[in-house]
Amino acid sequence: MIRKFLQKLYLALIFIILYAPIVTLMVLSFNQSKTRAKWGGFTLKWYKELFQNEQIMSAFYTTLIISFVAAAAATIIGTAAAIAIQGMKQRWRTFYMGVTNIPMMNAEIVMGVSLMLLFIAFRMKMGFGTILIAHITFNIPYVILSVAPKLKQTNRHVYEAALDLGASPLEAFFKVVFPDIVPGVMSGFMLAFTMSLDDFVITHFTKGPGIDTLSTKIYTEVRKGIKPEIYALSTIMFVTVLVLLILINYSPEEKEDTKTKKKRAKKPSKVKKILLRRVIPVTICVLFLFGGFYYSRESNVMNSDKVVVYNWGEYLDPEVLTMFEEETGIDVVYEEFETNEILYPKISSGAIAYDVICPSDYMIQRMIKNDLLAEINFDNIPNIKNIGKDYMEQSRQFDPENKYSVPYCWGTVGILYNKTMVKEPVTSWSILWDEKYKDNILMQDSVRDAFGVTLKYLGYSLNSTDLDELTEARDLLIEQKPLVQAYVIDQVRDKMIGNEAAIGVIYSGEAIYTQMENPDLEYVIPEEGSNIWIDSWVIPKNAENKENGEKFINFLCRPDIALKNFEYITYSTPNVEARKLIEDDAVRNSKIAFPDLSQYENLETFQYMGTEADQTYGELWNQVKSH
Amino acid sequence: MKSKRLLAGPYLFWSVSFVIIPLLVIVYYAFTSDEGTFTLANLSQITTPENLKALGISLLLSFISTLVCLILAYPLAMILSQKQVNQTSFIVLIFILPMWMNFLLRTMAWQTLLEKNGVINSILGFLHLPALEIINTPYAIILGMVYNFLPFMVLPIYNVLIKIDPNVLNAARDLGANPVQTFLKVTFPLSIPGVISGITMVFVPALTTFVISDLLGGGKILLIGNVIEQSFKQNSNWHVGSGLSLVLMIFIIASMALVAKYDKGEGGTAF
Repeated sequence: MIRKFLQKLYLALIFIILYAPIVTLMVLSFNQSKTRAKWGGFTLKWYKELFQNEQIMSAFYTTLIISFVAAAAATIIGTAAAIAIQGMKQRWRTFYMGVTNIPMMNAEIVMGVSLMLLFIAFRMKMGFGTILIAHITFNIPYVILSVAPKLKQTNRHVYEAALDLGASPLEAFFKVVFPDIVPGVMSGFMLAFTMSLDDFVITHFTKGPGIDTLSTKIYTEVRKGIKPEIYALSTIMFVTVLVLLILINYSPEEKEDTKTKKKRAKKPSKVKKILLRRVIPVTICVLFLFGGFYYSRESNVMNSDKVVVYNWGEYLDPEVLTMFEEETGIDVVYEEFETNEILYPKISSGAIAYDVICPSDYMIQRMIKNDLLAEINFDNIPNIKNIGKDYMEQSRQFDPENKYSVPYCWGTVGILYNKTMVKEPVTSWSILWDEKYKDNILMQDSVRDAFGVTLKYLGYSLNSTDLDELTEARDLLIEQKPLVQAYVIDQVRDKMIGNEAAIGVIYSGEAIYTQMENPDLEYVIPEEGSNIWIDSWVIPKNAENKENGEKFINFLCRPDIALKNFEYITYSTPNVEARKLIEDDAVRNSKIAFPDLSQYENLETFQYMGTEADQTYGELWNQVKSH
Repeated sequence: MKSKRLLAGPYLFWSVSFVIIPLLVIVYYAFTSDEGTFTLANLSQITTPENLKALGISLLLSFISTLVCLILAYPLAMILSQKQVNQTSFIVLIFILPMWMNFLLRTMAWQTLLEKNGVINSILGFLHLPALEIINTPYAIILGMVYNFLPFMVLPIYNVLIKIDPNVLNAARDLGANPVQTFLKVTFPLSIPGVISGITMVFVPALTTFVISDLLGGGKILLIGNVIEQSFKQNSNWHVGSGLSLVLMIFIIASMALVAKYDKGEGGTAF
């Protein structure tokens, strides 16, 4: 009895651990507030918005299709291979198992990059096909590793007996061996399917423009926080699978045993059984399938007239894309990236021809230097007149003749602090080294930003390449490490809103949003100066629809459109006409969104410093992080 | 017999094209510099103190996580394997089910649970219990690893356990073995193949992960996966990244060879 109880207790404990995060995500899908750090009340609106969000839905169906096809292919290839390997001599078996283990042992990123290099070398078009190949590749080992232990346990003599009794090898296999290994094959398929569903890194490197899986979609959203629609979708997926499982496993048969239902005639219960075990699951599957056709049809209407846009995650109001399509008849293929460093190899390798991309200042400089960008024909962009002169002037730091770029967003890097936790006035970066705030400081987790802040604090240029200055900065960062609660990029926002920390280093665009969610927060640009950055639209040299790209940029420079984007992403717009249209006085004159640049003399833009300096920075940063 | 070997054909073709050739590309990158000349500098990057430390911590954390997974998963698999067949498939699926919520989302959910003002601490505070402060520490990383990789340990062990012939266990009992002896001498040796699969499936992803340490370790603990990821993504230095991945692979192959050797020895006596 006690044993039974302990077993139940153990199972229950594991279940709680396994499902605690799931329940959390489900709860978040009903959260009125957009950030995960705050409960804003119960709502169903995310479910409604989910079905109107074509991007998420088509990503969802792409994921399902890829996972299913990849898992099925991997199961066939893998099971066949496992059977063959089982019958091999020791040496060959070791060889094959070695090969099998390679994808599992390789860091995912290595596999992703190596496949990408291969696809580029053979000039394969990145897209659905390349993702599928990559997924099958990493799925096969899971199938083999699930099937192999089963095969090890099957009794060879039974198979041989079947042969002796006159069965053909094929018959013997399907009648004798196969039933024994079915659980292994099934769990192999399930594992493969689940791994595909979950994979991010490899997909990221092998995908092309206009195709997204749920993982890559989620990852691009990490920068600005996960959209609640994603929580809603996950909840629906989860509940659907759960319901299917319950229906298939708990037929009314078991209920029949209970006394109340014994009286019932057998016939209706059979109908009920069929209804529950077959009809409903099939209906749900069919519904999903048709949904898939619906959304894939929606996304696949490919006009010959298109523009391929590659932008930061959550960096544009999706409605703007629809408006652009309606007004011009040009289809937008929209894709998102999360860091400049990920963007660069994609452009330099030329694997995908993007028409418009939105890198930051120093990356634009690097691209110009390496001859990757095309000169923009400003005759096609009359709306450039709406962009403030100051910002065009700022742009000259990375685009000296204003030939390649059109400013889209800009901002500063500064300190966000919580007024209830920090009582003193904040004016200097030195507060990031104040023992008082031990474990209450959030530092940026990127080389340039972390070093930029420290170099500025020390009074140096944030583009310093002087080794002594950099070493000094490194030592200061190491000194700071025990005080830091976490090194983060995107999560500063959620953590500050949730009162997790007192001080955080943050981009001004995020500061505006966090203040709306938590009025206790205040943003300041320290007196030692800081980084001022600009993200601009540029056109890569290998663009196939350059004119459409220019039309797109021109559209974004229209004041009403720029305003719409500003309201959606809260990053400062260089569009002066759009700023005039902002209705809320407090926002229009916000010191955070639109600081008076003449007041700050020591704001600097990041410069591209060459691979050697990049490497030095990287090494020093690693020393900080591993200290 | 020959026709049976042909079954490996598609797999061989697939592996050569999409595993081995890409791997050679990595090897090429690992041994060349930016200018395309031969160099060992990328491989020797692993000997810098910070990279050695990262490798050490990664090995330690993934070892602990694998061990914890094994300790948690084995009893679990045993309990599950004793259930009735129909119910079992249901229970097993319940264990895979969490994986259908995206991995990034699940790991982020742990943040919400573990944070200073998070769900768990709110509950503990309500019960007047001391707060749980493991977010941004190695413990949180281990928790994340165990949570994410536990099913990979449970499933292979479970798959092997349900195949064990009950008659073998009955025979052992008839011959006078007590439950502990039966487990140690019969059940466990028979389940070794599953355990080995499980260890591989947990240890390797744990050793190479970078997302879990980023999200739950607060970016304060640098794992070797983070170093590699950074050299590819932040520093855009594919040569160093390739060199480090090559070293990492050698480490994994070495540790797996060790495990496999153990497998053979035990397996031999078991049958």
